[in-house]
Amino acid sequence: MPAVQVENLVKTYGDGTQAVKGISFKVDDGEFFGFLGPNGAGKSTTIKILTTLLRKTSGLANVAGHDIEHDPQKVRKLIGVQMQDTVIDEDLTGRENLILQGHLHQMHREELKERVNTLLKIVDLEDAADKRSAYYSGGMKKRLDLASTLVHRPKILFLDEPTTGLDPQSRATVWSYLKELNQEGITIFITTQYLEEVDRLCRRLAILDHGEIVAQGSPSELKSEIGADRITLGFENGNPEAGALKNKAKQVLSNLGGITEIVDSDEGIVIYAKNGGFLVPDIVRAFDGAGIKLASIGVSSPTLDDVFLKHTGRRIRPEEIDKSRASGMFGRRRR
Amino acid sequence: MTFISDTYYMFLRWMKKLVRNPILLFFSLFQPIIFLLLFTQLFSSFGVLLGVNYTLFATAGIVLQNAFSSAFQSGTAIVDDIKSGFLAKILATPANRASILLGRLLSDAFRVFAQSLIILLLAYGLGVFPATGILGYILILVTVAFFGLAWSGISLALGLRTKSAETVFGIAGTLTFPLLFMSTALMKPALMPTWMQNVSAYNPISFAVNAIRDLIMTGYVWNSFSQAYGVISLIAVLTLGATLYEFRKVVS
Ligand SMILES: Nc1ncnc2c1ncn2[C@@H]1O[C@H](COP(=O)(O)OP(=O)(O)OP(=O)(O)O)[C@@H](O)[C@H]1O
Ligand SMILES: [Mg+2]
Repeated sequence: MPAVQVENLVKTYGDGTQAVKGISFKVDDGEFFGFLGPNGAGKSTTIKILTTLLRKTSGLANVAGHDIEHDPQKVRKLIGVQMQDTVIDEDLTGRENLILQGHLHQMHREELKERVNTLLKIVDLEDAADKRSAYYSGGMKKRLDLASTLVHRPKILFLDEPTTGLDPQSRATVWSYLKELNQEGITIFITTQYLEEVDRLCRRLAILDHGEIVAQGSPSELKSEIGADRITLGFENGNPEAGALKNKAKQVLSNLGGITEIVDSDEGIVIYAKNGGFLVPDIVRAFDGAGIKLASIGVSSPTLDDVFLKHTGRRIRPEEIDKSRASGMFGRRRR
Repeated sequence: MTFISDTYYMFLRWMKKLVRNPILLFFSLFQPIIFLLLFTQLFSSFGVLLGVNYTLFATAGIVLQNAFSSAFQSGTAIVDDIKSGFLAKILATPANRASILLGRLLSDAFRVFAQSLIILLLAYGLGVFPATGILGYILILVTVAFFGLAWSGISLALGLRTKSAETVFGIAGTLTFPLLFMSTALMKPALMPTWMQNVSAYNPISFAVNAIRDLIMTGYVWNSFSQAYGVISLIAVLTLGATLYEFRKVVS
């Protein structure tokens, strides 16, 4: 039985915004599933629907074997949800936040107490457990929020960007903990901007763009679909004629054989080509002849970044998101 | 049946928040205390007109005035929960939906209970002691708390509907004095203009005031007591109905 099954799911908001336009996908029991997409693609909307917080406009959705509309209570018992914005009660201590969650899931006192202690240890909040969470740093709040979704041992975890705003160390801890949870059999449905981690951990993923699924499959399937190496060309920084230079370079490149795609990027130009390594000398020679100065050139096999770029025409940049969304939110960690 | 335990845990959450933000307890108390300390002194000659001690007469009205404005905090609290996403977080658990509201309303009732106790103690300092004694104190506090619970429903519904704390405050501020003045809170109907007597006779605040005033000044008056409970129950049913209705729409 799939953990999540969605068919032709549509969400049109009251103001007419078509956030989700008929998507279908399936997440198997025990899977680590990545749900990616640029800003405004409809990821959070989908999560809110699957977690019974938002009514769908049409379509079918089953979570943990229950229809989200007919059996929402059964669904709620089996899922854990972390929303994109950190949500904790700042008047309560960290421990009280976790205990409240457990009580609302009808957990027994003794079991709950133990469970909360374990979780506090895992998210490294033992020392601050009895402090009012208003005084936590952004990163600590985020970790507390994650812990609060785990109190009742959910079968399926829905995580909307759980590591955004965490410092690299906490981020790594969270990812490795998620991996552990998954190995214990918990299904994980996650949206994130961190493609390297997705590549490492997700068994399958779907890419959403403008409310539609534009690609889905395993990371290796999606990467091999690109069928080409990536050659990154960098030009001198701060060149005022960068635009003209790029155009000239593209012109030169279009005369070379073996190139499947030429894409603009912030640093310069990205080329996709079969057997990219062999093309490098040709490129250097052609640029030399045309008087174009290159600052750097690199060949790599395709990454999920390329997959994302190919399907959405955009790049994901977690660093920028971190800075704009979460300035000053880096968790201070003791020890 | 998780209704009772869920209600209890939601209530507990609000109580903790109240204890940790004591300002919330005193927030609405300011005006009634001014009324108690200054207004009753300024208008003590009303007592001559009414043939009673005015402070004794007005205490019931002042207690109700506090309950009335205090009730409006409920709406702003739920707006905070909606904005912060905490309501969504609770809605994602299997917690009983009615418990989520009832837990809040019970905490409102408790707050009004505590505030009324403070007012009554101050009034005691001014020589106000209920004719019904200690049992009277308890009945007064329970009645006011019930009134507070029913009225809080209105502000909860408003908060859920408008999702704006300013709107809830605005409406509360606009309603307080007209409803207070057009009730028996501060004056006997016999001394009001006729049109105001008519309004006052249907003003729910009057019913609650009359019952409490009887407990303070007269003794056990079954008639005023049962009428007050009838009216407050009716308000409670209406406002809780409206609240539940608005609550359903939040999840859309
Ligand atoms: N309550 C709402 N009313 C109207 N439109 C909304 C509402 N919530 C979201 N939208 C719109 O729906 C679209 C999808 O939003 P959503 O939050 O699901 O995107 P997302 O993929 O999670 O984006 P991000 O990466 O920025 O979090 C956007 O165009 C957004 O503006
Ligand atoms: Mg989102």
